Amino acid sequence: MADNTHQQRPNFIGRFTAWLMHHLQSMVFSIGKIYRSPSATLMTITVIGITLTLPGGFYLLMKNIENISGDLRSSTQITLYLDLGLSEEQARIFNQQLDTNPHIDHTQFLSRTQALDEFRQSSGFGKTLDQLESNPLPHTIIVQPTFELDTLTLKTLLIKLEAEPQVDLAKLDTEWLERLYTLIEIAKRSVIIVSILFSFAVLLIIGNTIRLDIQNRYQEIIVTKLIGATDAFIRRPFLYGGIWYGLFGGILAWLIVELSVIALTGPFNTLNMLYKAEFQLISFTFLDFLILVASSTLLGLAGSWLAVARHLNEIEPK
Amino acid sequence: MIQFLNVTKRYPGGFEALNNVSLNLPDGEMAFLTGHSGAGKSTMLKIISLIEKPTRGQAILNQINLNTLPNRRIPYIRRNIGIIFQDHQLLFDRSVFDNVAMPLIIQGYNPREMAKRTRAALDKVGLLHKEKSMPITLSGGEQQRVGIARAVVHKPMLLLADEPTGNLDPVLSREIMQIFVDFHQVGVTVLVASHDLNLIEELQKPVVTLNRGKIIHNDLESVNG
Repeated sequence: MADNTHQQRPNFIGRFTAWLMHHLQSMVFSIGKIYRSPSATLMTITVIGITLTLPGGFYLLMKNIENISGDLRSSTQITLYLDLGLSEEQARIFNQQLDTNPHIDHTQFLSRTQALDEFRQSSGFGKTLDQLESNPLPHTIIVQPTFELDTLTLKTLLIKLEAEPQVDLAKLDTEWLERLYTLIEIAKRSVIIVSILFSFAVLLIIGNTIRLDIQNRYQEIIVTKLIGATDAFIRRPFLYGGIWYGLFGGILAWLIVELSVIALTGPFNTLNMLYKAEFQLISFTFLDFLILVASSTLLGLAGSWLAVARHLNEIEPK
Repeated sequence: MIQFLNVTKRYPGGFEALNNVSLNLPDGEMAFLTGHSGAGKSTMLKIISLIEKPTRGQAILNQINLNTLPNRRIPYIRRNIGIIFQDHQLLFDRSVFDNVAMPLIIQGYNPREMAKRTRAALDKVGLLHKEKSMPITLSGGEQQRVGIARAVVHKPMLLLADEPTGNLDPVLSREIMQIFVDFHQVGVTVLVASHDLNLIEELQKPVVTLNRGKIIHNDLESVNG
């Protein structure tokens, strides 16, 4: 109705303030609802939390495996057997050239004589070796590539080194590494699949909870519609409800994973001791935490939005 | 204020609740809608409050054609109407004050203005001292008065009541009707559906009688001239 003569409706600023106020009220109201029915809400949040623990935990497992495999990769060395015709001086010059290569962290030079001595000591063939006319072993350089090299760059480096005229044979045992990386890749994809599946589950859990919530407040929705509430107004508390479920569910999932990490640290350290390794069990970074909580909050919003879109329009005064 | 031009309402299943009904309720008028149950009283009120749409004919509310009104505008039209239900439709999870304040919250009044108007409306129905009570603790008559306070708190131009005294004893009914008369006297258009014929006669307001979806008696025609 255009005629507002005997009414003083709030002006635009007033309405905007009211809009903000209602957002605030909806937020507080939906929190209040959680507070008033703690057991039901706690159950929903726990279900969401546990559901999200799986993708979160897998993600962390992946991170740890990658971390450990990164450490393993640093133990990857390329052994260069130089041409037999090379003098020791030439070989050392070549070694110095290698040290300037950005992909190489450091090298270790082993002259033919050193190599023979070493072989003699470790093999026990001393006497047999003495009968040889000349030293059959070449100069050897053990190349330690930089740590952050991926498999492809590592292979390129290997091919490049092998192509050097001074090099007779370059050897890298990459087979087991490649297998490991393929396994990690498979695991990574599994984590993505699991994450999608469980995100979907969270979406449905929250959607269903909000649907029940809508049904429980059927009467209130009818009444507010009859006194002129817009759909957006009615939707708001439910959407905030979904946001809270997602937010607290995400935080709970984080907590569960963190506690699991703490619980696993003891045995992990024992394992470290047994293998004389110094692997670190890594936990969520702050960014990981933010991503986990933000995505579960978004899932909450999306789930409640789905429920609201489907069920709120069905409720009309009769 | 309200104009019905040859309005027919047929529900799915074929039941014809209104049959070619024409009516004109001028601004500031108060009228009663009577008839047996099933005569079409509620359907008329539902069309005016935008719960139902006419199958045929035009329903016009303050120059706005309700047939063609897009759904998203419905809330804003309803804000100009105060609706009182037979079963008062209070929300039992909140106080009397919060129930009455609902229309103001929806329309975005600031808290101070909201409190002022809510108390004024409660005062008008004589329940200011019960503002903190929960509706469940009130008597039937008091609950109905809370319903009225909620319907008038935002100063609507039109007040619709569907059997507002249906569950009340004669003394309480008279009190409730008197509240409607008071609102009419300050310029609000009032339409009350009721079958309490004795009480209606006492109040000496125009009466529209429906029978099986048709108007069989209409005092408003003489009012309109």
